[in-house]
Amino acid sequence: MDKVCNTFQVSVENVTPSLPCTNECTLLESLESHKLEVHSHCREGFCGACRTKLISGTVDYVTDPLAYIDDDEILPCCCIPTSNLVIKPG
Amino acid sequence: MKYTTFNQQVSNPLTEPMFFGNPVNVARYDQQKHSIFEKLIEKQISFFWRPEEVDVSKDRVDFQKLTDPEKHIFISNLKYQTLLDSVQGRSPNIAFLPIVSLPELETWIETWSFFETIHSRSYTHILRNLFSDPSDVFEDIVLNEEIKLRASDISRYYDDLIFATQLWQTQGEGRHHVDGQDYLINQRELKKKLYLCMNSVNALEAIRFYVSFACTFAFAEREMMEGNSKIIRLIARDENLHLTSTQHILNLWAKGKDDPEMQEVAEECHDQARDIFIKAVEQEKKWASYLFQHGSMIGLNKDILCQYVEFIATHRMSAIGMESPFEVTTNPLPWMNNYLNSDNVQVAPQESEISSYLVGQIDSEVNADDFGDFDL
Ligand code: FES
Ligand SMILES: [Fe+2]
Ligand SMILES: [Fe+2]
Repeated sequence: MDKVCNTFQVSVENVTPSLPCTNECTLLESLESHKLEVHSHCREGFCGACRTKLISGTVDYVTDPLAYIDDDEILPCCCIPTSNLVIKPG
Repeated sequence: MKYTTFNQQVSNPLTEPMFFGNPVNVARYDQQKHSIFEKLIEKQISFFWRPEEVDVSKDRVDFQKLTDPEKHIFISNLKYQTLLDSVQGRSPNIAFLPIVSLPELETWIETWSFFETIHSRSYTHILRNLFSDPSDVFEDIVLNEEIKLRASDISRYYDDLIFATQLWQTQGEGRHHVDGQDYLINQRELKKKLYLCMNSVNALEAIRFYVSFACTFAFAEREMMEGNSKIIRLIARDENLHLTSTQHILNLWAKGKDDPEMQEVAEECHDQARDIFIKAVEQEKKWASYLFQHGSMIGLNKDILCQYVEFIATHRMSAIGMESPFEVTTNPLPWMNNYLNSDNVQVAPQESEISSYLVGQIDSEVNADDFGDFDL
């Protein structure tokens, strides 16, 4: 199944305006390309360093996340947006 | 309850708690109560590496060029890490295996501990290269006051749980006199000891290595001791996975997703657990002072290192629902992230024969440009 290339608006709490992020690279990579510093170590979903609150929106995981996250949290290093998002990095 | 290596009672591992249920009988992984542990096993095994794969020979030349204070920093850190991995190579097995009740968790514990033994073997690999006889370094680990101080705090909670479990498994619940001391053994007491022990292990995996890691990677930033740095990166990747497992265990308990009594224990002992974490942070900061007592090293000083420990601690405390007393919100050592990135430490099997090539490749992936975007 071909993935449709899409760009979503990601608004980061306390950062204006919202940032366009594609589903072609991980959310972490997109945020970094906008010069936003998100804490990260493994960049592979197992350490939890990038743990971020997802206030609204949906994501898909490209790598199975192993790090512990709460129901309202995501790991930007291994997910892509599937809708516009509101997030709050940890 | 007496331990048995093959429990012939029919039990359903899908309804057992992680610990203090029935001893595991069949090592089966087709069904899992907490599938995360099976995933961690797979991930950990995919990380397999051998210290001998990493060429550390160039480090010998570098080591001679270090100043005396820098040599003190380098060797002291290796001693401390040797202590940590000596403890971790055996203690999860001895403390947790007699009381574990899920096959996937039992195997995770064994896998975890096995990797700690790889870490231990890697220190011998590093030291043998630096000294024709590394005995003095190893022998000092049980004599050095600074290290002993940490050793007693690290082993205390393990030893407590192990002894209580032994009493329970041989003599059952009740009050027992051993060597003139009185011990109260019941399920609740055992579970409290387990909870505190898990918190102490979690703090160990979360922050106890990071002063040492920062020094190693600061040497690597100057293109010094790069073989050592390559090994420490592999170790750091493993430690991150171990930390993830203790965070899962603590959160499963706290959120009532495993043993309801452990949820009560987690609430009851929350402050004590938090104190364990904070004490570990304080000890790490004191370790930084000890390291730099004869002088700093280029690129690092005591204050920035202490800030880094606090920064890491805040993140890791929040992962287990603990409020951090520290106020550092931005990463004081942003270049550390480049060394903790698992992409940079792949060991490709076809390259492992030519370890110099491997080390060279890793080094070339982290260069000054990578740090260009970061501001201190
Ligand atoms: S950076 Fe490790 S989980 Fe995202
Ligand atoms: Fe280790
Ligand atoms: Fe570990």
